[in-house]
Amino acid sequence: MRKYAFDGIHVLDFTWYAVGPVTTKYLADNGAEVIRIESSTRLDGLRMAPPWKDAKPGINNSQFFASYNTSKKGITLDMSKPKAREIFLKLLPWADIVAESFTPKTLRQWELDYEHLRAIKPDLIMLSTCMQGQTGPHRDYPGFGNLMAALAGFYYLAGYSESELCPPYGAYTDFIAPRFSACALIAALDYRRRTGKGQYIDMAQYEAALHNLAPALIDYFSSGRVLGPLGNRSARFAPHGAYRCADEDGHERWLALAVASDHEWQEMLKVLGNPPTDCRFDTMLGRMQNREALDSFLAQVLRQHRADRLTATLQAVGVSAYPVQNCLDLHDDENLQAFEYWHWLDHSVMGPSPYEGLQHRLSRTPGHLRSPAPALGQHNDEILGGLLKMSSAEIEQLKQEKVVF
Amino acid sequence: MGSELLKGFRMLDLTDEKGALCGKIFADMGADVIKVEPPAGCSTRTIPPFLDDLPGPDRSLYAIAYHAGKRSVTLNLDSADGRALFRKLADTADFLVESFPLDYMNERGLGYEELSRSNPRLIYTSITPFGDRGPASRYRAADIVSWAAGGMMYLMGEEGKPPLELSLPQAGLHAGAEAAVASLIAHYPRELDGVGQHIVIDMQACVVSTLMNEQAMPLLHGDYLRRSGIYTGAIGGRRKTIFRCKDGYISGLLAGGAYLPSTNAIIDWMKEEQAAPEWLAQPGGLKALTPAGFMNATEADFRELEMAEEAFERFLMTKTKAEIWQNILRRRILAAPVATVADIAQDPHLAARGYFVKIDHPHLDRELTFPGAFAKMSVTPVGPAGPSPQLGQHNHEVYCELLGLAPELLVQLRAIGAI
Repeated sequence: MRKYAFDGIHVLDFTWYAVGPVTTKYLADNGAEVIRIESSTRLDGLRMAPPWKDAKPGINNSQFFASYNTSKKGITLDMSKPKAREIFLKLLPWADIVAESFTPKTLRQWELDYEHLRAIKPDLIMLSTCMQGQTGPHRDYPGFGNLMAALAGFYYLAGYSESELCPPYGAYTDFIAPRFSACALIAALDYRRRTGKGQYIDMAQYEAALHNLAPALIDYFSSGRVLGPLGNRSARFAPHGAYRCADEDGHERWLALAVASDHEWQEMLKVLGNPPTDCRFDTMLGRMQNREALDSFLAQVLRQHRADRLTATLQAVGVSAYPVQNCLDLHDDENLQAFEYWHWLDHSVMGPSPYEGLQHRLSRTPGHLRSPAPALGQHNDEILGGLLKMSSAEIEQLKQEKVVF
Repeated sequence: MGSELLKGFRMLDLTDEKGALCGKIFADMGADVIKVEPPAGCSTRTIPPFLDDLPGPDRSLYAIAYHAGKRSVTLNLDSADGRALFRKLADTADFLVESFPLDYMNERGLGYEELSRSNPRLIYTSITPFGDRGPASRYRAADIVSWAAGGMMYLMGEEGKPPLELSLPQAGLHAGAEAAVASLIAHYPRELDGVGQHIVIDMQACVVSTLMNEQAMPLLHGDYLRRSGIYTGAIGGRRKTIFRCKDGYISGLLAGGAYLPSTNAIIDWMKEEQAAPEWLAQPGGLKALTPAGFMNATEADFRELEMAEEAFERFLMTKTKAEIWQNILRRRILAAPVATVADIAQDPHLAARGYFVKIDHPHLDRELTFPGAFAKMSVTPVGPAGPSPQLGQHNHEVYCELLGLAPELLVQLRAIGAI
């Protein structure tokens, strides 16, 4: 019986930063052998970004990098050197998939673009993922996911009003695109198994991310309406938002909740001890039309309650509610713990380090974090000596020539 | 229409807004996705806004967007006849995805154990708000509640004011896309040995996975991030990320490190247009700008950066998003317009790639424009496979043509409320 879904699948992984590595991580954590090809001359930016083990910066000390590169091996090749290209081409027959996330011209410069690679390996599956895709006037735009989140419309949907935008944290679209690129890659693998045909996948992170805005785009095309920031206003629920509860240990606590019906509202008032309320709030329409008054009423009442206790009592009467959790709360969350979301893995340089796990669980072939992320070039000897059967003298020579670097 | 990629595979889609995107991705990849809805329709059909602002079961833009290319049948799982019919349908399926409360399908004898007994190939994916094992496994979660539980909400908004969600709720979309990936992960070995499996998706974890490097920060650096409006809260200084311009906003950052060449390009641009204050125009004018980022910056350096940000915003206020975007592209500046859906709809780059596609919706007497292929695949192009179905539009096609029920029986099943 198979242990992992992708036992025996091999991936050569030129990707860096987040989208590419998160994509290939789906394969790696589910059993594929993934070799990250990095170089000291072109360091993955995430190796130089926090959080750091013991808060100390270092290329092998970044948990940002480590999080997205579990279950993978790592070698270093300076692709600007012809000998590095030769080594890559020796690895190519081993691979089912080549993935890369440079701006489009990079692989063409190295003559390692799909046209070159398919001539050598016709059934190769190749994924190129970049900001705006391999074609079109803006294809060489070199951005990060935080900029793509602005360009792809998400920043404009976040805020209290048009004059008070508050963007989503981080590189938001970097965490939309990988699920789409993973779908394309895995389905392409299965298609190749059935038909023998490989193919090329040109993934624009922009175009994938826009699927998370589809209703607003279709609306604009049909009505000209431009969706903007709405605070927490909803056309379906009232109340709907986050309300400050009693502080705990000197820290603010907020409760997110959504009330879907008048019955739920009545149940919620009971839970809150039937505080004197405004008759305008009795109906859904009344609550929607008097949203500001409703929110100040709740702000006043909920300040007297603890968020965790209200969560339990509101959920018991069928009202959707949960505390607004900060990043420390997440690690104490019993539900994430029960799903076995958090893991400590023993990294070769960092020692025991905190990793996030999978967001899915398979019953028969469950994936898991099979190993911590590789240190830079950690598997040079293993891959070059093992897979390519090079002698240690040859490998040493390549290191001295800074080909393996 | 219809991709070759997953042609011949069938998915039964029993999700609401916690998973509609899963079936949409499968339909885009060519699978036959049958949306199994209660007789009154899936709750997604009630999500505003509606086409032409006319509410109706076939006019929710959310339902239109995320059910395109699926077929729709009605089925009452609370009726024994409905359940018997569902079992027949499940025997023809390769995939099933659902987002009911935890016990719902089991209580009706339609859990993985039961359905896989007659169809061992079945891949059965359950989307849950909080997983299936923790104390909240039976909690309800509107999208905003998942956004809060997963930590993203805490990071959006101004300090002291309520945390925010996006005006187009996102948690269910992340869960739906994760369900699509996980279903395909199980598909690969199933095609080798013929055995399916049960999958649980944790929606809360899906939101946590969008927090980038922040989730491990408190364990390694001893503190957690607070929301800070338009400022980054990242280590090494509070920096402005959104600037006003003539007709909207621009996102960018004046910083060292990876942003150093871009910041220098901005200063050069301001110099060219005589918009850089004298102190900024001098070589080394911004002392905080080093390849190492802000690691060694002093209070005075940060004050200088703030002054530079003010000068940059004054400069941007003389220009439109479109003018600035042209300069961003030409000068390789790390910045981007804060685009609206109108800007995106008119983006010449997307037009050159033929991204948006028109899909005729005869029952609405309209052609609607959709986001196109999520990726360009050279051998098996993917993309929207057809219009969004009317409620129960494919009852005859699925029940009579696929399952072989006599048309009279269909009438009878409808009369007794089974479909």
